[in-house]
Amino acid sequence: MLTLGIDTATKVCTIALIDKEKILAAYEINMGMTHSEGLVPQMDQLFQRTGIAKKDLELIAVSRGPGSFTGLRIGLATAEAMAYGLQIPMIAVSTLEVLAYNLPVDNILLAPVLDAQKGNYYVALYEWHKGELQEVAPVTIMPGKELYGFLEQYNKETVLLGECDKLIIPENENISLAPLWNRLPRGSAVALLGEKLHKAGGDMDYFGTEPFYIRKSEAEELWDKKQQKK
Amino acid sequence: MTEKDVYILGIESSCDETAASVVKNGREVLSNVISTQIPIHRKFGGVVPEIASRKHIEHIMPVMNKALTDAHVTLDQVDAIAVTYGPGLVGALLVGLSAAKALAFALDKPLIGVNHLEGHVFANFLSGENLEPPFLALVVSGGHTSLLIVEDYNTFKLLGQTRDDAAGEAFDKIARFMGLPYPGGPEIEKLAATGNPDSIEFPKPMLPGTFDFSFSGLKSAVINYIHGMEQRGETINKADVAASFQKTIVAVLVEKSKQAIKETGLKEIVLAGGVSANKNLQDALAKGAATVGAKLVHPTKILCTDNAVMIATRGYYMFKHGDRSAYTLNAEPALKLGEK
Ligand SMILES: [Zn+2]
Repeated sequence: MLTLGIDTATKVCTIALIDKEKILAAYEINMGMTHSEGLVPQMDQLFQRTGIAKKDLELIAVSRGPGSFTGLRIGLATAEAMAYGLQIPMIAVSTLEVLAYNLPVDNILLAPVLDAQKGNYYVALYEWHKGELQEVAPVTIMPGKELYGFLEQYNKETVLLGECDKLIIPENENISLAPLWNRLPRGSAVALLGEKLHKAGGDMDYFGTEPFYIRKSEAEELWDKKQQKK
Repeated sequence: MTEKDVYILGIESSCDETAASVVKNGREVLSNVISTQIPIHRKFGGVVPEIASRKHIEHIMPVMNKALTDAHVTLDQVDAIAVTYGPGLVGALLVGLSAAKALAFALDKPLIGVNHLEGHVFANFLSGENLEPPFLALVVSGGHTSLLIVEDYNTFKLLGQTRDDAAGEAFDKIARFMGLPYPGGPEIEKLAATGNPDSIEFPKPMLPGTFDFSFSGLKSAVINYIHGMEQRGETINKADVAASFQKTIVAVLVEKSKQAIKETGLKEIVLAGGVSANKNLQDALAKGAATVGAKLVHPTKILCTDNAVMIATRGYYMFKHGDRSAYTLNAEPALKLGEK
């Protein structure tokens, strides 16, 4: 199944074309350029170079978050409009699961994290078992300084992935960081995960699918707080 | 041989309305879909950018689809996709822009980035008045107050603009200060209708010798007046304040427009932007323009506020002119009139 994967949840702009679990082409850029300027030109080049016709696409998979709100909306609006234009299904996948696809190794606790601003992180825990990714702990937001304690309680060999370079992790034989070149999201993983979910019947409507923000906007949170005080 | 019909799909998401429209040959509106967020932002007293962006992503595809369905036009029939790329809220702009770019890319259709302010001016081509350039345009909105000459469909010459607050911004700030609900402009107009416009003398900022505007001094004068009254424990007649304030701002806009008409000799002036819905301004400008031999054209009510019809119409003339945008097109939150 010819699938296009898109991830703009972080500073990386990454896209890939896969077919039957084979990565046909991928284009990834991590130099802090804006997704708005880069995403469509990047896709244009990917199709041109591969000679694949857009109308032959069968599925569009996009990283839904958590992540940068603006980045997520650029990715989702792009995926929705493309799927709509080509009249093909669209699927949105968890960015944290996408990160866990970088290390498909059994019996290691994977802790993908993404920057949630102001010292906070989105985190979920996963483990691979015989080629299947399993969720150990659902996504939550926590301050970076509590993350270490949270991971330690599992007392298991743990690898951190994602936007973890600002985290201060004490020397610990159990907890390590994934290598820099294997830490960030990949469009190919989005496509692989998307294809799998699509086959399980998990398509999304391109009308009204929202990014996975996890939390309300700051203005709404402040408003809620004010109402509680009253 | 008659020329082939041109269908433009217009997309707009610069502030708090998600809109899409199909316009035929630049002047025939086939659909006009607007999903407004005004009720959502009201409790915050103004547009909250992050909430606006969230609503845009929720509504963009359904709105676009409805615009095509209402118009009975298929994607195949669309000749080009026109989209607002500025000015506006960056996060909001990016939603419509990303969707437009992806659609243009998926279907290999031309992409046309449209300046929102030029769109407002072009809304006047749909007023049923058979308007043709050249003419003068007074753009009055929450972010802009500008006088310009529309020389032809693709050439605009700026005569003057605001040096500080825009007229609409002054309306909004005064409304907020008086505790009126958002959006403040229409609320001031409503309140002013019951007040005496000659009751309070506010300074009239004329900036002689230029076509520039300045409204921050007037705004401060109104706020100081209310403060002073409050400190002296006097009751404020809010309707009188609103009426006097509105009268002053309208007088400046009309005076400058009359000067521009006299200086350019143009016979038509159009109103554009959110504040163009203000009936008081429409009437005063129509009268003022008539005294110097010009006629006022203003958009129909539905096309005064943000919409995608005006984007599709502007897009049509750009399409005819051969203007095309690259896929690298980015949102330009501070885009100016006549800028590329
Ligand atoms: Zn506007």
